[in-house]
Amino acid sequence: MAEDRQPADIVEGATSGDVEDEVQPTAKSAEDRKAAAALSKLDSRGDDEGAAREVDQEAVKNAMSALGGGADKKDIKVVKVDAADVKLLVEELELPKPKATDLLKAHDGDAVKAMRAYLQPDV
Amino acid sequence: MPQTLSTREANLFRTVIRHYEDKQYKRGLKAAEQILKKNPKHGDTMSMKALILNAQGKTEEAFSLAKDALTIDMKSYICWHVYGILYRTNKNFDEAIKAYKFALKLEPDSHQIQRDLAVLQVQMRDYPGYIQSRFVMLKARPQLRQNWTALAIAYHLDGNLQKAENILSTYEKSVTATPLRTDFENSEALLYKNSIIAEMGDFEQALEHLEAECKGCLDRLAVMELRARYLTELGRKEDAAKAYRALLDRNSEHPDYYKGLVGVLDIAADDEGALKAVYDEYAAKNPRCDAAKRLPLDFLSGDGFRAAAKAYLTLMFDKGVPSTFANLKHLYSDTFKKETLPVLAEEYLKEHSGDSTTDGHANGDSSKGEGAALYFLGQHYNYFMSRDLSKATEFVEKAIELDPKNVDFHMTKARIFKHQGEIAKAAEAMDHARSLDTRDRYINSKAAKYQLRNDENEKALTTMGLFTRAETVGGPLVDLTDMQCIWFLTEDGEAWQRRGDFGLALKRYHTIFNIFDIWQEDQFDFHSFSLRKGQIRAYIDLVRWEDQLREHPFYFRAALDAVNLYLSMHDKPQNGANGVEGSHANGDDAAAEKKKAAKKARKEAQKAEREAAEKAAKQDPNKGGAQKSKDGEEMKKKDDDPNGVKLAATADPLGDAMKFLLHLLQFSPKNIEGQIAGFEVFIRRNKYLLALRCLKASLALDKDHPKVPEQATRLRKALEGAMGSLAPKVKEVIESELAAVPGA
Repeated sequence: MAEDRQPADIVEGATSGDVEDEVQPTAKSAEDRKAAAALSKLDSRGDDEGAAREVDQEAVKNAMSALGGGADKKDIKVVKVDAADVKLLVEELELPKPKATDLLKAHDGDAVKAMRAYLQPDV
Repeated sequence: MPQTLSTREANLFRTVIRHYEDKQYKRGLKAAEQILKKNPKHGDTMSMKALILNAQGKTEEAFSLAKDALTIDMKSYICWHVYGILYRTNKNFDEAIKAYKFALKLEPDSHQIQRDLAVLQVQMRDYPGYIQSRFVMLKARPQLRQNWTALAIAYHLDGNLQKAENILSTYEKSVTATPLRTDFENSEALLYKNSIIAEMGDFEQALEHLEAECKGCLDRLAVMELRARYLTELGRKEDAAKAYRALLDRNSEHPDYYKGLVGVLDIAADDEGALKAVYDEYAAKNPRCDAAKRLPLDFLSGDGFRAAAKAYLTLMFDKGVPSTFANLKHLYSDTFKKETLPVLAEEYLKEHSGDSTTDGHANGDSSKGEGAALYFLGQHYNYFMSRDLSKATEFVEKAIELDPKNVDFHMTKARIFKHQGEIAKAAEAMDHARSLDTRDRYINSKAAKYQLRNDENEKALTTMGLFTRAETVGGPLVDLTDMQCIWFLTEDGEAWQRRGDFGLALKRYHTIFNIFDIWQEDQFDFHSFSLRKGQIRAYIDLVRWEDQLREHPFYFRAALDAVNLYLSMHDKPQNGANGVEGSHANGDDAAAEKKKAAKKARKEAQKAEREAAEKAAKQDPNKGGAQKSKDGEEMKKKDDDPNGVKLAATADPLGDAMKFLLHLLQFSPKNIEGQIAGFEVFIRRNKYLLALRCLKASLALDKDHPKVPEQATRLRKALEGAMGSLAPKVKEVIESELAAVPGA
């Protein structure tokens, strides 16, 4: 819902704080409003009305329902990992904790196997 | 307990937001204070105030205020959102994601927060999370095409090509009206889908789709190139050849097209005549085409090469193309070609000597004819594979005699000096070349680089200053940093390192590190921008490029310099604070002297720079106003350690080195220099497993590298003493892995 009602003065990017988009910015004058509207239309090609006309709402609905629940669960092997082993890997291999856990899991929780695998150069 | 505002204050709150949006921070603060006077515990207002403070650069104050706001009003999504924004502007993306998720829990319908969260997730490459967010956004607004495309991108980046294609097809099916031919977004989306199909390896279907759907795509060239590629992949050689010929008719200078064409023509690899005929056809068709003449030199041999090379050289020399040697030196890996080319050049020289003086063949342009041949031979004997510096000097001097004012000739002379090890003379010669054409930026940069090689940092900066923006506050260096001029920063840092000023050297290396950080962050804007513009293929390229960003040799060089410098700082701790003093303890007076001189020179340079800036400010009275606001900006991001004094005073050089090293090992694991430096850092930090990992990598890359057996011996020795204190599992790993390491 990217650019629907982006205020004219919002700067794109990391520094634009934008709680305020929740509140409709009230333009100072009619002229401002017009200018802002024109500006926000400059880039948005998929603005609502235009797109809505092209799209068959019924088909979209069907398509949506066909998509199902979104993110699909991947099969993740359940491996029990010893916290002490994780700690050892974090300490010795200087991996972040989640990565150390993943590495252990990939080697059935066997710390020695995991460390040996990590040492191998990828040629 | 959250407080509710009266109507008047609620209005005031809205003005706070508006002022913040308009960047009128002072007014915004004032209004916020007014609300807080009556309702001191209003969380939302406190959060907005924090946001404004953050925008003014008062980060710490902002954070503590935002925290207070949260403790007062835990259930306000505004408070959580602001908290997320604060983290985001301070680059702590993981925490920002957490805060956004919380805000979203409180206010699940906010598009704004959902969008911000999605952008952060893709920035952090949390693809499963991104898919989730994009799915929610699509559900909220399925009528927008970009929401469908975005979900497809999310699946694509996550590696689920099939799903990505499905999403795009589903949308296409739901569109009833035929899109306009000029619909750029549609055209790009079709090609994007085509690229996904090709990525799945199904070229049959990709070709079918391309021919059926993408005929009208606006990026015609892409369609043609893809078609040629698919036909080749499918083995339909005749059609592929036709496709490549069509491409060559458009652009006969593109080597890949020739390669593609020759690949499908069924010509034996050793049938040079037939191969050359392919190129000759295009050379005849396009008399000014270079590729068709140059490329055959790659595969021709013997007399065929001789004849073709002679024709090519004659043409180039007659025209006076300065890049002739640079364009041919790739052939030097072949000994026959390496020996033939100078002979041909000499022949040309014999035929044309005196030309420029007698019949005015070159119309007084010394870079043509004889001059060009002399220049070529000078470069030939200067090149590392065919080096004979006295001969090189001879030819260059002859060339200079012909035209004493030619920049290229003098530049080559300087390079010969460099290869002779005469760095000071080289710098001088290069500066002379520069003086011959002061408007040539290339030779200007070259002169600065040679000055840096000669450890003349101040002079180099002045030279560079001839081409930087004069009005930049802080002088040329600031401009070069702003312009991300990495080669200069690297050379400058290395020169300072040689001069013993570790602070400035580190400063430069860290600056380069930060520039790469900036490039990483630059993609932030594109996650939404590219979608809006519909340029998906370019966006995917960008994301993939960003993932490999720090592979770049520029990064590697600066980071390796930094790691090695930190290593030497660890081995030889400085007594003084900034690496300029100290080392007296070693009785190394000469070095200390040098360092002192360097320090003095640096001070002088800074003084001169300051004066120049002041002068500039005085000279230009119009700038008064702008200057002021700029100063305000400067205040905010003022560097509190411009000379790297603090960097050099580090108590933990090895720890600091890790910042550079990790990227080296991650992105350039195939470079043995990085692995060797990694070993040195890890063994000093007693991280034996990691040291062993680097050693094993080095071994796999080049087992004959002289450093490898030495490091193996050192690791064994270090382990002898340390084995007892290691965890049993670590010991087991080391024992079994070290056994596989040969030597010592």
